Amino acid sequence: MENKTLASVRKPIKVLDGKVMLIVCIIIVAFLYAANIFGIFSSNTMRYLMKIFLYITMGEMWNLLSGFTGMTSLGNQTFIGLAGFTVAVATSTYNLPIWLGILIGLAIGVVVAFLLSFVLFRMRGMYFAIATWVIAEAICTAFKSWPYVNMGGGMSIKAKPYPKTPEIYLMALTLFVVAMIVVYLLLRTKTGLGLTAMRDDADAASSVGVNIFKSKLLVYVIAAGFTAIAGAIFFINKGTIYPDSGFNIDWTVSMVFIVIVGGIGTVSGPVVGAIVYVLLDEFLAHFPGWSNIILGAIAILVILFLPDGIMGTLQKKLHFEIFSQKRFSEHKKDIGKKAQLQ
Amino acid sequence: MIIIQYLINGIMLGGIYALLGVGMTMIFGIVKLTNLAHGEFVIIGAYASTLVAQALGVDPILTLIVTVPFMFLLGMGLQSGLINRVMQKGSEPALLVTFGLSIILQDAMLLLFTADARHAGAAYSSTIIKIGSISIALLDIILLAISLLSILILTWFLNKTYMGRSIRATSDDTQAASLMGVSVKKTYAIALGIAMATAAVAGLCIGLKWTFYASSGGSYLLIAFGVVVIGGMGSIPGTLVAGLIFGLAQVIGGANWGLLISYVLLIIMLAVRPQGLFSK
Repeated sequence: MENKTLASVRKPIKVLDGKVMLIVCIIIVAFLYAANIFGIFSSNTMRYLMKIFLYITMGEMWNLLSGFTGMTSLGNQTFIGLAGFTVAVATSTYNLPIWLGILIGLAIGVVVAFLLSFVLFRMRGMYFAIATWVIAEAICTAFKSWPYVNMGGGMSIKAKPYPKTPEIYLMALTLFVVAMIVVYLLLRTKTGLGLTAMRDDADAASSVGVNIFKSKLLVYVIAAGFTAIAGAIFFINKGTIYPDSGFNIDWTVSMVFIVIVGGIGTVSGPVVGAIVYVLLDEFLAHFPGWSNIILGAIAILVILFLPDGIMGTLQKKLHFEIFSQKRFSEHKKDIGKKAQLQ
Repeated sequence: MIIIQYLINGIMLGGIYALLGVGMTMIFGIVKLTNLAHGEFVIIGAYASTLVAQALGVDPILTLIVTVPFMFLLGMGLQSGLINRVMQKGSEPALLVTFGLSIILQDAMLLLFTADARHAGAAYSSTIIKIGSISIALLDIILLAISLLSILILTWFLNKTYMGRSIRATSDDTQAASLMGVSVKKTYAIALGIAMATAAVAGLCIGLKWTFYASSGGSYLLIAFGVVVIGGMGSIPGTLVAGLIFGLAQVIGGANWGLLISYVLLIIMLAVRPQGLFSK
């Protein structure tokens, strides 16, 4: 037993962060912005990338809830639908500008998440999962009989001038960048470390001073806010929203797929997962009707044979972590260096 | 008089809802698994009954002779081939696998049977019995009888047979049961088999009473889950009462609002008393 532990300690984990990685990231982001400004990307490429950015954001948020905090939600579509409808109501009923619609959507998402938390946080595990789903279905059902949102008839988003693809691309890119920074910084804080502790053992975490309710609330509200904005941007790109499209369980299907395939509980996982998902989704569009069957089968196979996902498995096999949220002690790093010398 | 009419309609619906919940509660209580594919299992049952009845030109109820064993074997195969393996990895991966199964099955049915509405018709479908000012559909009485009979047979099986006792033992204490020579994996497989068999019967009832689509599974899953949560997991009498509550909510609220009332009831119940009204 002892040998095994020693061996695992000896293997050095390369943490890819510091100045070099930061510069690489800044270059990538700067390129993504510059490409848009100088019109390097075709509008098709921009549409793909926009989708990827939005799905990364949604995936990161689902991962924050399920992978890092242990709150497996099946109802994040609540915030997508709410924000989408808010933008539609704000722009078509009240003639408000689109950015104000997004802001109100964000506010509604955050407030609803705050209110729901009092009910939801009384539950754990599968009860939480099902309750989030039931709430999404309940809101969807209510919207279908609510004249204010045109019942089940759907609403269209109106704006003059209507944002073009490059502008929506910029919104999505900015959201993605902010979301990544927030997730990384959050996980590095004391609260963030408390989250993983809570996920692994809520009682133990609570006894060493993690305020469970506060931490959960913070994460849930952040996840709701970002998911809401992602939903709003998605529906601005689409133009129309129906209760059945806004509150569809398919949103959760894609978030689960992205996180499971990319690697649950890793920050870089959803990025890889979202790229795989969007490419696969485009490819599967050639086989109408088969897309969910193949996505579902892949997800099940990944859970069975590659439970850490793509990034999780790579990190374990190759002993590296990109911008790890963990705090590696100097002591461990020293042991690693010694092992290398030997 | 109108109250009695409501009550009767509620009871009629409640029987079907209880049957929906029984399959879910079996898996919840015995296998300790939240089966998010239960709604799709029910719809598979509905398609099986409708198609067999059409193909053979027999009464839909008679198709149970074929569909119940078919679904039982399907359930056993699914549990021993897939779910037993995932359950070793923990409860959340298992939850997500049943979620994956539900979307696979839903789209597979959409491909196979198209998006058209289906309905299993029978000769007695529109017969109505009148007692004074109260009217009851003959179909409702038959469906209630089928539901109650299925639940009764299941209760008898769980209480009186050796297999049933070993299932209950596994549910109470997995380790002790396996020490006494009960094969836990086999028991789980049989439990899912039974759950699928009840789904076959529930599917028949749904096919006879309403029109259904390939995508209807989700709403029946939520009803089943609601019945389980309100009744208390693993409790069959609780399931009956909860089925009745849901039936009444549906009758009082109508199609759309009834669903909303059920959802709100379920959320309140989850928040206040998640162990259910009749938990052990």
